[in-house]
Amino acid sequence: METTNKRQSGDIESIDLSVNIAGVELDNPLMTASGTCGYSDEYADFVDLGELGAFVTKSISVAPRSGNEYPRIVETRAGMMNAIGLANVGLDVFISEKLPKLQAMNLPVFVNIAGVTQADYIQVAEALEDIDIVRGVELNISCPNVKAGGIQFGVDPSAVEKITAAVKKVTRKNKLIVKLSPNVSDITATAQAAVNGGADALSLINTLTAMAIDIDTQRPILANKTGGLSGPAIRPVAVYMVHRVYTQVAKPAGIPIIGMGGIQYASDAIEFLLAGATGLALGTSLFVDPRCIVEIKNGIRKYLADRDKSSVQDIIGALQID
Amino acid sequence: MCDHGQSKRGVFSAAVAVNEQICEDHFLLRLHICDPVRKFPPSSAGQFVQLRCKSADSREAGHLVEATATTPPQFSLDELTNHQPLLRRPLSLGGRREIDPGTTELEIIYRVVGTGTRWLAGLKSGAELSVLGPLGNAFAIRTDKPKAALIGGGVGIPPMLYAAETLSENNIEPIAFCGAQTSQLLPLTVDGAPDTGGAPSLCTREFTERGAKTVITTDDGSLGFRGFVTQAFQQWCDDSGVAAGQLVVYSCGPEVMMRIVGDICIDRGIECYLSLERHMGCGMGTCQSCVVKIRDNSEQGWSYKLCCSDGPAFPAELIVWE
Repeated sequence: METTNKRQSGDIESIDLSVNIAGVELDNPLMTASGTCGYSDEYADFVDLGELGAFVTKSISVAPRSGNEYPRIVETRAGMMNAIGLANVGLDVFISEKLPKLQAMNLPVFVNIAGVTQADYIQVAEALEDIDIVRGVELNISCPNVKAGGIQFGVDPSAVEKITAAVKKVTRKNKLIVKLSPNVSDITATAQAAVNGGADALSLINTLTAMAIDIDTQRPILANKTGGLSGPAIRPVAVYMVHRVYTQVAKPAGIPIIGMGGIQYASDAIEFLLAGATGLALGTSLFVDPRCIVEIKNGIRKYLADRDKSSVQDIIGALQID
Repeated sequence: MCDHGQSKRGVFSAAVAVNEQICEDHFLLRLHICDPVRKFPPSSAGQFVQLRCKSADSREAGHLVEATATTPPQFSLDELTNHQPLLRRPLSLGGRREIDPGTTELEIIYRVVGTGTRWLAGLKSGAELSVLGPLGNAFAIRTDKPKAALIGGGVGIPPMLYAAETLSENNIEPIAFCGAQTSQLLPLTVDGAPDTGGAPSLCTREFTERGAKTVITTDDGSLGFRGFVTQAFQQWCDDSGVAAGQLVVYSCGPEVMMRIVGDICIDRGIECYLSLERHMGCGMGTCQSCVVKIRDNSEQGWSYKLCCSDGPAFPAELIVWE
């Protein structure tokens, strides 16, 4: 009796994919994961980024950073490790040259911000308060590839709470998203600390600290020695962490999660939604085929249509555990 | 007139027309792109494409393949038994032609060096392959210089074929210097015995067809000039009487070779472009992996440029060698 209990294919387009991240309306849950999408115009020829729900920029720091020495990436089975080192144009150039391009996309923009000291984060966050298209800042307190580049804030719950609260004081218009590191023994502790500090949303997971060794030279392959593992290899870890943070921190606090880590297909995206993610960020997959944005949206719609659901919100956190 | 709507770079589905071994470890791959909606955009010598070294996957078109307790996991036997890399593989274009209305043929010569190229080598005619491109800058063609020397080492030879074709079309006389460790590793069809003293002759079918004489060198002397391609080039510079100002050099091959080519040209005041190779994540200028140090007026005297989008060809005098 397929025809009676399933929607007609014409209805698929009418399925509502919109979500709300801390008061910011998104046309659909898909976003770019910071650092995997540059400043937007790089992908312009390959996919219409207007298909996204929101755009998350590469990390921006006060001063420009040239990044780590080469080699900066190494491929692993079902994943890749990177140690780019937060290469970015710096706050001033970002505002004068890159933001106008983002403006043209007509999407909510979340700016990922990085720093060495608390003052750095505050300076960038303050500068972004006056820009309309920017709807939020994502605190990168979890980049594993920069010495003193944020990870020390990201692994200690009291440091997470302190820096979140400090940046929260200067974010009035913008929403504050805190990006959590998976390189901790209990991610719910850092998640709770971010919530206590005033985070409006949590994004997880950043990359897992990893290492690859050249067995001929017996030295690390990456110039930075270690890198952050991303891609399909980390997806089950990310799904588990989203599930834990959702049930133990985010749901009780009424705070949305932006889930990420190896999302490649619609079925992956749906796992994250079921685990409790409201937003979904794509990273490594964009390197392989930027068109995955469109395919994943189509797949989510089919999944919902097949189950007679009219909105993606019906499956957020719908994981059944006996 | 160029239709911008149709000439954007993108992801194209290609059919394997030819994939045959041409010498030890080297394969000739001819791909046919026939897309009813978009034409493969114009490309130039020096550019490359990113090939997906993985079987076509219905999940990438938004199809859901779900695992349940009673059905096997969602991976095909092919995926589980043959390692198919996640990231695309950058391969330089050896040529491109329109073979009939609407079909573009791309020619690629690759050497089997790892998982991706090993997978490629197993492809049969008719197989489908995802092509992202065309990518990178192109060799600058200087119509004010009557002669060009093309210096290719090993698998750096193929882009020299594309360059020879373009130069001939622009009435610039190309001479190709092709080096390999041994005759078995030379990816060219040798028609006549090359000059053992390093004099240019019509000894290879591929370069002759593109209007270029060839000098063959092998490290072991098994074919042509015994020694390195850089020695043959230097000798030719001394003997040919071509004035430095009349010549442009284009080169691709191992970095040690290109560095010497660059030094010879800088010494003699010859304009020289070197096509560099780097590990790439995306090829689109986003991931910031494929950095090259390029001289500039900054305080440190250089800044990072991206091999994929600022290059792969850079003027020799601007490259800061590691």
